[in-house]
This record gives sequence, structure tokens and C-alpha cells, in this order.
Amino acid sequence: MPVNRPRFVTGRILRNEGRGEIFYRIEAAIPEPLRFVPGQFAMVSGWPGNDPLLPRPLALFRSGGMRGQGKIEFVYKVVGRGTALLSGLHPGETLSITLPLGRGFDLDQAGRTYWLVGGGVGFSSVFPAAAVLSRRRNGFEMFLGARTREHLPPKQWTPGGKTPGRTHFCTEDGTAGYHGRVTDVVLERMRALSPEAVSRLTILACGPRDMLKEIAVEAMQRGITAQVALENHMACGFGVCWGCVVTLWDGDRTAYRRVCREGPVFDAKEVVW
Amino acid sequence: MVTPDLSASLGGLRVKNPVLSASGTFGYGIEFTSFYDISRLGAVIVKGLSLAPTAGNPPGRIVETPAGMLNAIGLQNIGVERFIGDVVPRLEDFGATFVANIYGKTEEEYEAVARRLSEVPSLGAIEVNASCPNVREGGMAFGATPEGIAGLTARVRKCTGKPLWVKLSPNVADIAGIAKAAEGAGADAVSLINTIVGMAVNYRTRRPELSNVTGGLSGPAIKPVALRMTWEAAKAVRIPVIGIGGIQSSANALEFLLVGASAVQVGTANFRNPRACVDILEGIEAFFREEKIAKLSDYRGGLMVEKNP
Repeated sequence: MPVNRPRFVTGRILRNEGRGEIFYRIEAAIPEPLRFVPGQFAMVSGWPGNDPLLPRPLALFRSGGMRGQGKIEFVYKVVGRGTALLSGLHPGETLSITLPLGRGFDLDQAGRTYWLVGGGVGFSSVFPAAAVLSRRRNGFEMFLGARTREHLPPKQWTPGGKTPGRTHFCTEDGTAGYHGRVTDVVLERMRALSPEAVSRLTILACGPRDMLKEIAVEAMQRGITAQVALENHMACGFGVCWGCVVTLWDGDRTAYRRVCREGPVFDAKEVVW
Repeated sequence: MVTPDLSASLGGLRVKNPVLSASGTFGYGIEFTSFYDISRLGAVIVKGLSLAPTAGNPPGRIVETPAGMLNAIGLQNIGVERFIGDVVPRLEDFGATFVANIYGKTEEEYEAVARRLSEVPSLGAIEVNASCPNVREGGMAFGATPEGIAGLTARVRKCTGKPLWVKLSPNVADIAGIAKAAEGAGADAVSLINTIVGMAVNYRTRRPELSNVTGGLSGPAIKPVALRMTWEAAKAVRIPVIGIGGIQSSANALEFLLVGASAVQVGTANFRNPRACVDILEGIEAFFREEKIAKLSDYRGGLMVEKNP
């Protein structure tokens, strides 16, 4: 039976492949299949020694397998020493993984249409949502932004990527798709919505904080529901170090809430931008 | 061979083994129940409690450093009343031996928290945090001098019949003197070390990495300092010394026991391996079996030094 409480497992790497030296996709065998909510994450390490000390939070990208043999996949970008060391691990080597963690996207409200917005490596959080919505035949559009063509996820990773017109690619240098920021595309589309469309739309977004902020502010002004997946430095990932807090509204006051526990997905209205 | 006897007496609290979780790294204990049975631990030491709930420091609370991390959480906690109402019954249900770490802005607040917690029959001990480097009121004012430690310890001592542990700061010149002062004022045990004050800045943005500017260093990087201080304190006092600082493995834990600690607390290791405490416990058991050591006291404090400096 898939288990939803966090567990600490050893994963055996099945493959760990780079794409254009920017994104890596790592797949590992774990003891049991995992059921997760899109937007949830795992804490992952595997390099020897104490430096860096802490595991890295990675969005849960895909899971599979059957009873007695699970499989889990992550996509990551090399941003520092931890992810660089991760990228050097080979099939057969092991990962330490705590999963599933945090609160994911709420996809369970009836009668919604969705926009999924991924900036940079943020696509790794929204692709699982796209996969769930595709399976349910729930309407959605996806907006993916990156600096250049090379920084976009490969087409074959995109759930429902073969369905034309559903996914909008944007690059800041114009090497693929719309020439400009994904944020601007999304803002423009929001401004053109009918009141009826506004009332049915839910935006799910993951990416750089500036992107999330601009989308959240516009959504709030227009009364559009938006959920944002936030990132932060984390030590534990399961709520005990209290290191990853962000400032949220609590009525008319503010409070510190943990990205790893109360998040990483928050209602855009809750966040003190 | 029979199971080795790992039990220890920690200033009036009998524990079944010497592996405890360090305050501030273990939440309220409940968070770990999805990973293992927390009643297996010698004791669970919960996050530092104040009289009222505390919000803590603004974001920018942690930063990773070579083989360690700096934190400036600022003692965010739910307050003593919610702890007693919501958490204690659950810790009791899980069968955990648990210890409350406490702090106050004033000596009076320490007294009030200690008095209130003393009414909880299942509470195993009180650990006084006289050493948090991250809030002005976090005890450092009391923990920095022998006089300060003695004064605070004596006042809390009068408020509780529970075993009283005092958690010491490493940010002092003479740890032996501080430990003796706590002992003289009525502490039943001392635990050390808390984090070492440190700092990290970004040379490009020209800003500190932590909102609090300075923070407490923990992890393997501080282990040699912690081991030295544990050794010095254990030589100086008759009460039990509980060793803390950078313990990642059973080998590390055994090093602290060898220099005289009666038990250890595992802290930052819990962050990267939620099962760290039980892994360490199992490793100690395996080592005792392998070496045919019957009981903890046969090993503890057995460091062989050719010539004592």
C-alpha cells in the first residue's frame, strides 16, 4: 500500500542523466511505491561525507512501481555544491531520501480550469499537476518560461506535451516560443479574461520569487485564485528545524510559517509579498 | 551474549540508554513518530519553551557552512500551556521519556515556566537553556559567567523538584568553572555544548546571510570543541555531564561517552537523517556486543591518557 506519511528510505539510483548540462533527471528504486500530491517534495542526499551537511529539497517529479518495488524521479538544476555532487552520482549508488513532504497543490475543487505556470526549474513542481489534470481530463493550460531555449524542459518530459496549444513556451532571448518573460504572458492573459473565466480559474505557479509575486499581485487584484509553491533554504524538510519560515498573513497580523510543513504551496493571498 | 545494559542515571532521571534528542532539533518529538518509535530513545528533549508563545526571528534563519550550519531561529515555540495541553498527552501516548527545555526573558519567567512544568507528573526533567546565542534574552546573559549560572540555577532549583539539568554555552573562557557553578547551585546534571556563535556574510550583496546577523554554529564542524569541553566539564564536576555537539554516528557518540559523558544528545544529525538517534543507539549496542562490554559504566570515562596535561 502506498504510504503518505513521511518516511526515510534508501534509494538505488537507476539513472542520473543531464540534459544540456542544465537539468538532470534522476531516477531511483525505493522500497515501496509512493503516492504524492503534486507540489510535494523530498529531501535528498547521497554524496559521501559531511560537506555539504544537509540534504537538498527536490520536487517530487514522478513515481511508479508496484507493491514491493517503487520508483521515484526528480528533476534538478545544478545550482551549488550539493546539486553538483548529486549530478556526479552513478547508477547503482544510493540516495538517502525523506518523502513525501509538505502540502502540495489543491487540485480537488470541482469545476475549475487551471493555468500552470513554471519559471526556470519551477516546471518540476507543475508538471506533476499537469499529469494529474491530464488523467482527469480536466482543462488546463501550461506556461513555461526560461532564459533560453536550452533552459526549457525537453518536450518529452512535458505531460500531455503532444497536445498542441496547451503548453506555451517563453524565452527571454527569443530562441524558442514567445520572446519575453513568461510573467508578462500570464499577466496579459489574465487582463483579457471574462468575469466568468476569472471565477473558474485557478493558477498554480512555481518559479522565481519575483515571478510569483507579480502573478500573485495581479491575481489578487482580479479576484483570481492562485496557489504558489515557495522555496527556501531548509535544514530538515519535515518541520523540526524551523529554519525555512516565510511571513504570512494571519488575519490582520503576520506570522512565520514553515515552507516545508504549512507549505511549500500557499494560497497567494496568504503570502506577505 | 546478553543485551548490554545501556541504562544511565542523569541526575535523578533514569534512562534506558544514553541517546537523547537535542532540544531545537527534534520539534516536540511527535514529528519523528512517522520514522520510528520515539519511546526507544533514552529521552526526547523538546524545543525550548517560554511562558508565552514566541514568534522567533524573521526569515533568513539558517545558512549552511562547511560541515555545519548556522541558525538563528530565535526560539519560536508554542508556549508552555499549549505544550502541556496538546503535546504532553501525545508524548505520553507514545510512551516517550521526555524532558522540557526552558528559557525566559527574565529569571522570573524561568521560575514561572519551571513551576508550571513541575505540575506535569510524566515530565522526566527540566533542562534550563542558559545558552541560546540568538535572542538577547535567551539565557546567554546568565550563561556567560559562573555567577550568572549559579544565580539562575539556584532560583530555578527552588521552583522544581524535577531533575534539573543546565545546558551550558561554549561561548565562555572556562567551561569547567561554569559547570562547577551550576553544580554548586543545585543542578542535577549539566548538558553541553549549545551552539558556537558564528557569522556568515555575502561579499557580493554586502549583507549578512542571517536576519539576526549572527547565529549558532552546529554540526560536525563543532565536534572537536564539544568533545574537549565535555571532557573538561566531566573532570570538574561530580554530577552527570551530557555531551552534545556534532554527533553524527555511534562512533561520535562513543567518543563523548569515553571522555566522561553519561549520555549524549543528538542534534543537527536529525535534520539530515530523521532516524539518526536510533541508528546511533543501534550502533552503540552493536559496539558493546562486539567488544563484550556488559554495561555503559564499564566504558564511560575510560579515556586512557598517558600524561594528563
